[in-house]
Amino acid sequence: MDETRDGEGSSQPVEAKTKAQGMSHQSDVLPCDQLRDQVIGNQSSHTQLMETLLHLRQTVDDCITQLTTRPPQLDLPLEEQRHNQATGEQEAFLRRVVNLLQSGAMWGLGLQAPRPTLGPRDDAGGGQQAQLSRQLDQLVHQLSHLEVAFVSHDLSNRGIDISAFERSKFQDFKTYQGDKYHEDKNTMGFINLGVSENKLCTDLMTERLSRSDMNHLEDALLQYSDQRGQPFLREEVARFLTYYCKSPARLDPENVVVLSGCCSVFSALATVLCDPGEALLTPTPFFGGLVMGSYLYSKVELMPVHLDSEITDGSARPFQLTVDKLEQALLEATLKGKKVRGLLLINPQNPLGDVYSRDSLEEYLEFAKRYNLHVIIDELYMLSVFDDSVTFRSVLSMESLPDPNRTHMIWGTSKDFGISGFRFGALYTHNKEVASAVSSFGFLNGISGITQYKLCRLLQDREWIDKVYLPTNHSRLKAAHRYITNKLKALKIPFLNRGSGLYVWMNLKEYLQPCTFEEELLLHHRFLGNKLILSPGKTYMCKEPGWFRLIFSDKPLPLKLAMHRFYEVLAEQKRDLRVKQLEDPQKE
Amino acid sequence: MFALPEKESRAPSTCPGPASTQDLDSNCGDGLERECSRKPDQKLPELYGVGDPTAGFSSNSSHLSSRGGIIKWFWDSAEAGYRTYHMDEYDEDKNPSGIINLGTSENKLCFDLLSKRLSQSDMLRVEPALLQYPDWRGHLFLREEVARFLSFYCKSPAPLQAENVVVLNGCASVFSALATVLCEVGEAFLIPAPYYGAITQHVCLYGNVRLVSVYLDSEVTGPDTRPFQLTVEKLEMALQGANSQGIKVKGLILINPQNPLGDIYSPAELQNFLEFAKRHELHVMVDEVYMLSVFEESVGYRSVLSLERLPDPQRTHVMWATSKDFGMSGLRFGTLYTENRDVATAVASLCRYHGLSGLVQHQMAQLLRDRDWINQVYLPENHARLKAAHTYVAGELRALGIPFLSRGAGFFIWADLRKYLPEGSFEEERRLWRRFLDHKVLVSFGKAFECKEPGWFRLVFSDKAHRLCLGMQRVRQVLEGKSQVAEDPPACQTQEPRDRHRNCALRSQDNPSLGEDLPVK
Repeated sequence: MDETRDGEGSSQPVEAKTKAQGMSHQSDVLPCDQLRDQVIGNQSSHTQLMETLLHLRQTVDDCITQLTTRPPQLDLPLEEQRHNQATGEQEAFLRRVVNLLQSGAMWGLGLQAPRPTLGPRDDAGGGQQAQLSRQLDQLVHQLSHLEVAFVSHDLSNRGIDISAFERSKFQDFKTYQGDKYHEDKNTMGFINLGVSENKLCTDLMTERLSRSDMNHLEDALLQYSDQRGQPFLREEVARFLTYYCKSPARLDPENVVVLSGCCSVFSALATVLCDPGEALLTPTPFFGGLVMGSYLYSKVELMPVHLDSEITDGSARPFQLTVDKLEQALLEATLKGKKVRGLLLINPQNPLGDVYSRDSLEEYLEFAKRYNLHVIIDELYMLSVFDDSVTFRSVLSMESLPDPNRTHMIWGTSKDFGISGFRFGALYTHNKEVASAVSSFGFLNGISGITQYKLCRLLQDREWIDKVYLPTNHSRLKAAHRYITNKLKALKIPFLNRGSGLYVWMNLKEYLQPCTFEEELLLHHRFLGNKLILSPGKTYMCKEPGWFRLIFSDKPLPLKLAMHRFYEVLAEQKRDLRVKQLEDPQKE
Repeated sequence: MFALPEKESRAPSTCPGPASTQDLDSNCGDGLERECSRKPDQKLPELYGVGDPTAGFSSNSSHLSSRGGIIKWFWDSAEAGYRTYHMDEYDEDKNPSGIINLGTSENKLCFDLLSKRLSQSDMLRVEPALLQYPDWRGHLFLREEVARFLSFYCKSPAPLQAENVVVLNGCASVFSALATVLCEVGEAFLIPAPYYGAITQHVCLYGNVRLVSVYLDSEVTGPDTRPFQLTVEKLEMALQGANSQGIKVKGLILINPQNPLGDIYSPAELQNFLEFAKRHELHVMVDEVYMLSVFEESVGYRSVLSLERLPDPQRTHVMWATSKDFGMSGLRFGTLYTENRDVATAVASLCRYHGLSGLVQHQMAQLLRDRDWINQVYLPENHARLKAAHTYVAGELRALGIPFLSRGAGFFIWADLRKYLPEGSFEEERRLWRRFLDHKVLVSFGKAFECKEPGWFRLVFSDKAHRLCLGMQRVRQVLEGKSQVAEDPPACQTQEPRDRHRNCALRSQDNPSLGEDLPVK
């Protein structure tokens, strides 16, 4: 996320302006994993739409140039100028709109997209060109109306950012929500292999949560509690982590803070560790949802440490993180004037499925210590390591942490227990200051007492977890993984074969021509057109186009159907590439 | 971006005296609600005050960011008062000489009814959809139920829309999210003071938004007026004052029924305030979290949603929760109702931080749907119990000759203890509060509500009779000055007769107190 702040001034409009520019020039760094996860669109019009958008961006750029060269008072009555502090704001807005459109929000905004033409893309004749530009004018015109509704003087700049983000996602989400796959009721609906949820064990979980011990009620559960979380739950979390993370010493409940989801924990941590504009180093590709986690409330930036798929001298496997790369990224960030406060690690990694070895982990922690960096380590998938030959080592299992006061671990039940709807996340940190500061958010990110009780019962039931839940979950994950990877092998699609997580990271470069992020997005839309949701690599800030993440933790039936659709799209894509190849030489 | 005060320049102007550097000064009785503030004492009558919760703060943490240091300070300052209470919580059996909490605004009168209802089989459904990521605005079934519920109980002229509802984990979160999406860093909301002080923290933590107090007077200035009456003139003056200091005010917060005054705005007043806001293009956030806790029928409460026509519907945002009206502050269910889709969408985007378990969402929908139980069982019983508790505490205060405000809404009485402060200073107010705590009764002092007159206290009465009686005995002891003499702590607390507290007449047997100067542990 290398948003260079060319205007280093601290005043608000300048900030807003530079940020917006950063966003438009590099729309890839928008905090929008789920956005892209769920982008739904009409596949047939996408090709056209992409072109339209490029034109539109040009038009908007022209508009902006006009705006910035004209004195603002000519355009607006005086009282309105109060709200339009600077033309920069308008510019920021327009750029946002363009980004929005590009990210797929168009359908919900009631804008009419140009009709798709039937011929190949570069066949647009002069007449169509004229029509296109007319439609563009119309679009721009509508946009100016939109601005009234959209900026509407109601939201703050950050509110607009937040809203823009949600709006784009939200419209897609609505489309998806309205047309979800259902085994009996809607077999033609969208199959979502984009959002990381484990749906394989809902039967076990439903049964366990329905047992009578879950329904206990006492007055303390309905009243304000300790902001760090109910003491009984924090004690249970400490016991649970001691056991499953194989901690050498018993973990202390005083070091535990529970909040409504790992997103909240991460956001709170980012807020108390970094000031706005400061940054965390993050090896990429990585789970893009965290960009949002750090960005929406706390305005903390993530500086990517780009990893390569190719195996080079320093690495033994694709996308391997090395201390050299960390050093280099830190240096680059420092040269850019970025204050880096910490390092964010995900282990098991999302989307790679990699598990860090004990030695690597130690090296990363030592690196962080050398530079007084905090390490936030997200172990959200620690119990979703389904391959017995893979040994996961939690950071809490280490005999001695290089810098315990700067090491903060996050875990939650969303992935490992497949209950993302519970909204539970926990922080474990030895640093009392950090724990206290994060606890201040207990009010804003608190968990219902009733939910805390259920979670406590769940985590307590070691017998059920060890004998029923984990074995079943792992064998189902393994089966689903085997099914998917066999399909990929049959299609000769390269992928990372790891034994953890709920996803497969695969390379569809073969199907992109040229191999660009634009083509990646088009392929993504093609999947959407066939009612299949996958996540393109761009949302993980992957620097190489062509990678996709596929979630395999779904029931066999939807999974099978999804792979059928997957196959159809790739076949179609292949056909088109061949046609294109044939046509290209003809043109020359 | 995060406005960290410049410590050197700020310090002299914000420290009223050496006392303010002590830890306990910011522990305003209401530890649980985090009602804390640290403002300089006002010597001259002021019309408004710009809140700066971070003034006087200093941090030298090597691990936290500057804003992290401030955030931790919020925790520390609230934590000490909270800790005192929680280390020595009253329990009828286990710790009968522990601290009685008349400080936290919670309704503990109806747990029996609630626990029965929440244990019925319709509440216990578990299904996969409830376990997975929901719509961030809240499950549709719940938003629909909230819309129906509010339409009915707020008496809205037209049915309210589920599309305008956003569900969050409590009203604190609604304040936080609204502050963030409506204001830039450092901008402000107007709020009539005294007010529920925790809002200071809610809007500050993530949003870094400030509150500008519109100070109200206890004195009645003319016919047809009442103490602490809010008027449009006062709003205008506070707004002008803030503007003259270069502070951008983006909205107005109204709490109705008011906390801590227990006041209710008439429809005409409400209309005037809304018109004022419209004139200045201010958002209005109306916190109606006590709307069903109006236990005096004659009061005639009107929700803002009942108005025939809102002056500025796009800038009017209503919040409600089950915390107070259903005595479930620990359930963390709050909701925003706004016709402004941009605001709703922006708030919904922040809901990934403020989500509520699907299972609890199901329970809330079932609860709100059960109109029979609410109307025929819960509300009548709750109101009767509130009324009885209120009558008792009001009687006690009258017997002590203490003036107080209470208009038949909310869980608290706003009591005028100015006669116990010889000099009328906030230091004395704190000392009195401290003496209450030393005598094992936790109340909230006026400073925690940004009241500009020292000597006002909030007493929460919505607790079980035996605790309430004991609490009031202790209050009486402190005020009657019996406690001035330090006594030995009880030799063995557990030997006290267990049934003693059930009889409110047994005042003389109340537990011995700690001496005034003994540190509270």
